Amino acid sequence: MGKIRVLIAKPGLDGHDRGALVIAQALRDHGMEVIYTGLRQSPVQIAQAAIQEDVDVIGLSSLSGAHNTLFPKVIEALEKRNAGDIPVVAGGVIPSEDIPFLLEKGIKKIFTSGSSTEDLAVYIKQLVGPKDVELSPPNKIAHIGIAVHSIDNVLSFYTDSLGLTLETIAEVKAERVKIAFLKIGESRLELLEPTDESSPIQKFLSTKGEGVHHIALEVEDIQLRMEQLKEFGIPLLNDEPKQGAHNSQIAFLHPKAAHGVLFELCQPRKGSDS
Amino acid sequence: MDEKYTRPKQKWLDSVESTIKRFPERKNTFTTSSHIEVERIYDSRDLDYEKKLGYPGEYPYTRGIQPTMYRSRFWTMRQYAGFGSAQETNKRFRYLLEQGQTGLSVAFDLPTQIGYDSDDPMSEGEVGKVGVAIDSLHDMEKLFDQIPLDEVSTSMTINAPASVLLCMYIAVGEKQGVPIEKLTGTIQNDILKEYIARGTYIYPPKASMRLITDIFAYCQQNVPKFNTISISGYHIREAGSTAVQEAAFTIANGMAYVDAAIESGLEVDDFAPRLAFFFNAHNNFFEEVAKFRAARRVWAKIMKEHYKAKNPKSWKLRFHTQTGGSTLTAQQPDNNIVRVTLQALASVMGGTQSLHTNSRDEALSLPTEDSARIALRTQQIIANESGVADTIDPLGGSYFVEELTDQMEEEVNKYLDRIKEIGGAVQAVEEGYMQREIQHNAYETQKRIENEEEIIVGLNKYTLDEEVNPDLLKVDEALEREQINFIQQIRNDRNENAVNQSLEALRSAAKTDEQNLIPFILESVKAYATIGEICNVLRDEFGEYIG
Repeated sequence: MGKIRVLIAKPGLDGHDRGALVIAQALRDHGMEVIYTGLRQSPVQIAQAAIQEDVDVIGLSSLSGAHNTLFPKVIEALEKRNAGDIPVVAGGVIPSEDIPFLLEKGIKKIFTSGSSTEDLAVYIKQLVGPKDVELSPPNKIAHIGIAVHSIDNVLSFYTDSLGLTLETIAEVKAERVKIAFLKIGESRLELLEPTDESSPIQKFLSTKGEGVHHIALEVEDIQLRMEQLKEFGIPLLNDEPKQGAHNSQIAFLHPKAAHGVLFELCQPRKGSDS
Repeated sequence: MDEKYTRPKQKWLDSVESTIKRFPERKNTFTTSSHIEVERIYDSRDLDYEKKLGYPGEYPYTRGIQPTMYRSRFWTMRQYAGFGSAQETNKRFRYLLEQGQTGLSVAFDLPTQIGYDSDDPMSEGEVGKVGVAIDSLHDMEKLFDQIPLDEVSTSMTINAPASVLLCMYIAVGEKQGVPIEKLTGTIQNDILKEYIARGTYIYPPKASMRLITDIFAYCQQNVPKFNTISISGYHIREAGSTAVQEAAFTIANGMAYVDAAIESGLEVDDFAPRLAFFFNAHNNFFEEVAKFRAARRVWAKIMKEHYKAKNPKSWKLRFHTQTGGSTLTAQQPDNNIVRVTLQALASVMGGTQSLHTNSRDEALSLPTEDSARIALRTQQIIANESGVADTIDPLGGSYFVEELTDQMEEEVNKYLDRIKEIGGAVQAVEEGYMQREIQHNAYETQKRIENEEEIIVGLNKYTLDEEVNPDLLKVDEALEREQINFIQQIRNDRNENAVNQSLEALRSAAKTDEQNLIPFILESVKAYATIGEICNVLRDEFGEYIG
């Protein structure tokens, strides 16, 4: 599995390359091979460089307002050289009203001002295909979920008898569940209390009683990992990541595939320590 | 320090210790954008008033370069504008002058800035986009139609072909009957920062430096009221530098121009009074104020002590400020009005000579007329309503600001020493030293924002799910074709012999090192040679710089 190769290019006369340089560096930090064309490249030069360097994807940057003219020309130049299959993404100062036109001309996606480099890296990895991507193993056990009838009733066992620190108590309305996080080393215990009869935790309690409900694994690139699991034929309970506590993104594996254990994948919000 | 002060302070420190045990501070350490640590409090300190501050209008000018500052006249409110055709921009200029703007500032499109005609294949898609398209003297005449050049001062953001645009301005003045010595304004003419950060270079450094010193010499003789260069930290900061790097690299570039001019045979006091500077203003309020104050002090010392300039005008760092484009967000664009207000206030507190306030929609597109008006009003409110212009250097003597000013001076000097070791700014640029320093900081900044260590309101905190799309200014795509038709018409109408003769004379002059090129460029401009034709002659002779 080789590294993803990316060409970052500045079409036209625009000299603002702070964004292009930052993105080049960020993609390198994501393990990609990045070639930066430098300033003032014509669409033909960009297409030629992409073919010569055998890149998997091209990123165009323009802040001068010439995007509607120059971006489609890059696509044309690629097609003329039978390289229309190299995907092109773009960014810069691009008014939102211009985006539909550019997408129609064959640009895969536009990343406008304020987009994160993380989003771009993930997008490129998806675009190029999960097969080619090496995913690092899960970082740690994020938490162990324990189903309880009442958090109030059991909390003193955890805090007083076990001496753990209570971090937060919160309600996740969408899941109809109240949760309490207790810190233990670099992971947590998550107590789960149903808030109404239709809660999935209520169902669990009715059939199995109180006890360990799931194990959450902290991962990076949750979206990619889900794709990869699907390719391995492992069924998931969610098609798309959904929002968990603390703005994390989560998804569950089907317990049948995991031999009776319910695993949660959990990608924490950036900058938070969970 | 007197025990009268130290004892209460110790008591306070003790109480702080017990307080933060219960209520920790928001961060372990607080720093400015230049990574200078900010202490919990600053208090009474020894200050060598005369040596460090002086009075306004007195060396080393920490408190300002004029004795009365804004008590006599507000800073020049100068909004950078230009888009599309010369006629359209002329309309916007006259609108801004009617609205109380006091100076013009021309934005040129990229082909003009890089010396290409509108019909050059390299210009495709760029004509009239980020500024006005100027191909020949004809466009310049339309640009200043009904704007008397003896009544406005005009700043032109033009670098590699600065000589060409200056000559066009002189020629327009001549047609209006304005004597050349009455023209006032500024050309940016700062090529070093183009290599470092902005990208509109044409020729290699040596030839570029020659054009710059030719302009110094020509203007000293003929256009004495024109600022011959605006040594710019603005774009260095926009490219991602810290405030300290902005000040340091700009001053290092300034020294390189002084060195080049002296080497070309000029006396320092012949040109130094016409050097101007251009800085950025970002959000970290006190650091920005301190930066301006420190920059003035550093420059004054360099000019007096290192270059031995005798004329006090040579010691004064005069500067224009623009608020920070890269601090503006595309998200919730109206928030940008507040950012611009803070930045504008910092530059006024820092003693700027002129100011451009950015429009709220600049992260999205060129400003609409409404946005440009609000930006100008922001300055007018600061000037007329806030009272900050009523006393000079109102933050002078603030324990914090004085300490920060000292620290920034120290940090700037460290960079200047480093650049001196490398062999000066030109050498440092060629080795990519400044570029690397800036890129490193730009990337670190991006990471801090993405990790939410640095909060940008509306971007990584307090975000909205649905962004409203504001009305944006659109440059008509038909303009490029019209401009191409127009330049072809000019080529048909002019005296081709006169054009060729003037261009050949320019070529011969460029082959030697001795002749000042400006009079030859002026002759070509008057013959309606286009900017592309003139720059191509020099491209042939000087070669092109590849970034």
